Amino acid sequence: MLVKFRLNGHHVEKEASPNETLLDFLRLRFKITSVKKGCDLGECGTCTVLLDGKPVRSCLILAVQVNGSSVTTVEGISGAELNLIQRAFVENYGFQCGFCTPGMVLAAKALLDENPNPRADDIKEALDGHLCRCTGYEQIIESVLKASELMKRSQQRT
Amino acid sequence: MHRNYLEELQKLFQATEYKIVGTNVQRIDAIDKVTGRAKYTADFLIENALIVRPVTSKYPHAVIKSIDKSRALRVPGVHCVITADDVPGENVCGYYIDDEPLIAHDKVRYLGEVVALVVARTESAAWAGVDAVKVEYEELPAVFDPGEALKGDFHIHEKKSPGDVKIRKGNVEQAFKECDVIVERIYRAGSQDHAYLETEAAVAIPEGRGITVISTNQNPFRTRNAVARILGKLVSEVRIITPYVGGGFGGKDTYGPIISSLAALAAQITDRPCMIVYTRHDSFAYRFKRTPFEIRYKSGATKDGKLKAIEVEFICDCGGYAAQVIGLMRRAAYHATGVYEVPNCKVDGVAVYTNNLPVAAFNGFGNPQMIFAVESQMDILAEELKIDPVEFRIKNALIPGSRTGTNQLLDHSVGIKELIEKVSKTANWESKRKLAKETGKNASKKRGIGVACSWHGCGTTGFKHDWAGASVILNPDGSITYSTGIVEIGQGTLTSHAMMVAEILGVPLQWVKVETNDTTRMPDSGETHAQRGTILGGTAAAEAALKLRERINALAADMLGCAPEDIAVENGIVYVKNLRSKQLSFKDLVREMYQRGINPSEFSFILARRGYPDPETGLGDPYAAYTFGCTIAEVEVDMETGEVKVLKLYPGVAAGKILQPEVVRGQVNGCSMLGLGYALTELVVRERGRMINGSFTDYVIPTVKDKPELNPYVCVEDEYKYSAFGVKGVGEVALIATPPAIVNAIYNATGVRFYELPVTMEKVYFGLKGGT
Amino acid sequence: MNTEIRPLPKFEYYAPQSLEEAILLLEQNSPWAKLIAGGTDLLPLMKKRMILPRVLIDLSRIKEISFIDLRDSYLHIGAMTNLNEILGSEIVKEKAPILTEAISQLGCSGIRNRATIGGNLCNASPAADTAPPLLVLNASVRLRGPSGERSVPLTELFLGPGQTTLKPDVIMTEVIIPCKDGKSVFLKLGRRRGFTLSIVSAAVFAEIKQGRFERISIAIGAAAPTPLRCYATESALEGKTVTPENIERASLVVRNEVNPIDDVRASAAYRTEMASVLVKRALLKIAKEA
Repeated sequence: MLVKFRLNGHHVEKEASPNETLLDFLRLRFKITSVKKGCDLGECGTCTVLLDGKPVRSCLILAVQVNGSSVTTVEGISGAELNLIQRAFVENYGFQCGFCTPGMVLAAKALLDENPNPRADDIKEALDGHLCRCTGYEQIIESVLKASELMKRSQQRT
Repeated sequence: MHRNYLEELQKLFQATEYKIVGTNVQRIDAIDKVTGRAKYTADFLIENALIVRPVTSKYPHAVIKSIDKSRALRVPGVHCVITADDVPGENVCGYYIDDEPLIAHDKVRYLGEVVALVVARTESAAWAGVDAVKVEYEELPAVFDPGEALKGDFHIHEKKSPGDVKIRKGNVEQAFKECDVIVERIYRAGSQDHAYLETEAAVAIPEGRGITVISTNQNPFRTRNAVARILGKLVSEVRIITPYVGGGFGGKDTYGPIISSLAALAAQITDRPCMIVYTRHDSFAYRFKRTPFEIRYKSGATKDGKLKAIEVEFICDCGGYAAQVIGLMRRAAYHATGVYEVPNCKVDGVAVYTNNLPVAAFNGFGNPQMIFAVESQMDILAEELKIDPVEFRIKNALIPGSRTGTNQLLDHSVGIKELIEKVSKTANWESKRKLAKETGKNASKKRGIGVACSWHGCGTTGFKHDWAGASVILNPDGSITYSTGIVEIGQGTLTSHAMMVAEILGVPLQWVKVETNDTTRMPDSGETHAQRGTILGGTAAAEAALKLRERINALAADMLGCAPEDIAVENGIVYVKNLRSKQLSFKDLVREMYQRGINPSEFSFILARRGYPDPETGLGDPYAAYTFGCTIAEVEVDMETGEVKVLKLYPGVAAGKILQPEVVRGQVNGCSMLGLGYALTELVVRERGRMINGSFTDYVIPTVKDKPELNPYVCVEDEYKYSAFGVKGVGEVALIATPPAIVNAIYNATGVRFYELPVTMEKVYFGLKGGT
Repeated sequence: MNTEIRPLPKFEYYAPQSLEEAILLLEQNSPWAKLIAGGTDLLPLMKKRMILPRVLIDLSRIKEISFIDLRDSYLHIGAMTNLNEILGSEIVKEKAPILTEAISQLGCSGIRNRATIGGNLCNASPAADTAPPLLVLNASVRLRGPSGERSVPLTELFLGPGQTTLKPDVIMTEVIIPCKDGKSVFLKLGRRRGFTLSIVSAAVFAEIKQGRFERISIAIGAAAPTPLRCYATESALEGKTVTPENIERASLVVRNEVNPIDDVRASAAYRTEMASVLVKRALLKIAKEA
């Protein structure tokens, strides 16, 4: 089946079998390897993409289901420069092995798009279900708080 | 001959405040990771790679009567089916001893052991092939309890045990007679799954007479040896490339060589690139895990609060093959006193074969289990002696000049006593301890506070000595190419290396590029485990940089007309001290090196400063240096459900010089959470050798909502002289200290002590009702 | 409990644009067809080969069954409404706060953006978190099939673990909740604080009139083959004064009503005790707010 959708801002189309997950579709057909297969059952969050702006687990979505939708991976949130969220993660050590990081960054983006002023509890809500084994989550939460600060500052300047 | 790096570096810089080392810099892997550009093994999508799936044993102990590949070979898309007979080299892949085949040949000894490999064009074809392979087994009696295995006749291997360890120091029998208080208990610490987010994977590409393997491993050189052995190739013909690794914690130390060999075997036989990627189910079902321990711990003290003697017996369930049990058994034994001076020690540990899954290295490597016993004992003793638990620990803590339980003299870098004091002050121990007493008797939620100390020798435990290499090349434009044998598994070690090199050479950090780990770049540098990445790997980096620095200073002195000791290099500018106007750029200096034929590169190779304990007495210097940890835990126990909420953790480390303060905070936090999981929720449930809770739903690791308040770690910078900048390792002590701190806190809150990890809410609930 | 994870099996896929189309497709492909709603339960089951449909009928393009409507003191929620949408709805929070409370503890955001209320009910896990609240609210579900439409009380939906009374050619179109004034509490016990299955859950709804429990409804999740209304416990409380003693007595009755199993997650004994504890706590909470 031909799937036509927006991928990181570009119109794309490709054939997909019905039993192909969006995760495999993105990784194998589009070579977007930032989306990870941590468990393939929706239990870890590393396969997260934004579907029409909402964070979802791409291992639990069929490629054919995104026809007409917009899909964003972490490659799609930065331009020539890092997205402020990414910059915050860099500056606040919001990662260690980095495997959960694309998912965390996308979850943070979805949160900040909806709520530019999150408190720690809102951040925990948004990041719940994104498993991290390395960091103990502390610096990830701090990175999201920092991101919200950076975004506010950059808006004040414009 | 070991250099006193600390003194040398302090002399070189005439300062202990460095420009880069000790500051928070941008990690060299940061941009790759936040942009998704970082490639992990399964992201290397090689065109036309064949897919490899294992056929695994259906029984925990059985003879393999026959393997029928014929049906599988007829499945469309299946390329071939590989069995033990097809192994070109030696079908052996044991970590320490040769008791383990890569592919089972005559019998299987654990459920999930690889019996054959199906290689196919697509994943679906590979699975269909696996379903079509017919293996005929003759089931043998299986055993899952080490005590039973010792008593019975299961003939898993020729011997019932792959090894044992003992420590004999002083006269324990006599010492116990002189004790006023003796405590003896049995402790059990369970298995634990690494549950890193990236599963095991390997891609093998045959290249002429050689083979390249990209894989998830923590030990490229050991992996290389393993692959060469399986393939019957020279080590020089095998190249291991280790890209970013999504978490290791020791699991990819044990399993890296195995997964790499499986892919390499397929690639060699098919002469095609082959890829194997474990599913999460595979990872839970087949990858080796933390060793369950049963420990009988007896310790005694005199009424003035001084420890006099310990007598420890422990059994490790190593499963079907020894894997890493021998090393971890020794580590547990060498650390069995805890961070204390104990003049009389008798320790006996044995590993026993069962038909459970074999065991892996896992952060702590035997210490979390042993120290759980040690630190529970300390609290019990303290209570009987009527001494405050913190005070009791301080009284007995190792200090410079102390001898350990293996009689190793620790003449410096022993910050534990100061650390305990610091942590207890930060946590407000005294006042909080009093508070716990004041919670109502019938409160449905009770709070408590507990403490535990840990230690962990830096460097590989075991048979072989411990070494590391590094390579530093000055490029003609002044930039630096750096290679190390250490793997970046998330711990930020490579950034530490780059910082050290940049600091010593006097260039901006950005000029140093760390190359992807590739075994063709340097001599065997050992594994990335045991907190050795910086203390050994980093010291090798410093050694290479220092040697270059000598040549740089000599040449600069010649070019600028001064003595070599008067040369300073800062931010890429070479100048004469106190005469800044006399300078030249680092780039020009390097160009001159090339012109004059002065070697602009350096390979270093260093040996760890330690020995081998005596096999009969266990006495000796097993590690170069020890990192110490101390954690205080505040908990709230829900008396009606058994839920234990960890309110706050106050971790502390004495890890020598802290190179990257914020990176270390991440390490300490992450390790504390691993410890929290091990303490409370991470139960590996087995049924006849099979893990029946192998999913993220049922193997319960902490989520962001389970995070307690994590006090930023407290530290004592007890620099070690014989490493670059005085560093030690830091990656394991926080895990080790956390479970006993929590269990001690639970006791403080409820008056009920638990002797088995994990202390799940159901265990707590019934324990509170019945008392244990 | 621990099964291999394989690539999805092959199947025919349809994405009908209307309910009529969907029902026709179901009819034509019965019994080999399965409906896919959010996919968060179904796809893992298929990867584990526990369910092997030859045809998948995707309901996500049928706009008419995704809605939240308040009509004459009944809350109508389309079966395909995703859980995050319900969570964020002010109407639901006002009219059926216990449902909001339950959904806030269900799964995690990434799952809730796809999981649907219809899917959660039709998957019929004994631990389904939307079930106990809907049971105590006396919710019903609307079903449409080839022979027309009918409403069924939720109490008649669940048959056993993973089993409903739904015929293969029927589609659940909406959940209907009568809005009642009263106090309600949902409590969930899991093995960790975040993103977890219920080990036991409890939903309680009651009106307190003159210090007595009126119209008390109690439902337990994950402690029986299906989500369970605890009628005996309700009887033990109906009309009784709101006192710790009566609450304690009732919580003991719960023990006899639940019927949990030992599994890898918890023992039956623990679940029984916890059902009792959660009901007691829920009742105490209601008593406090009264």
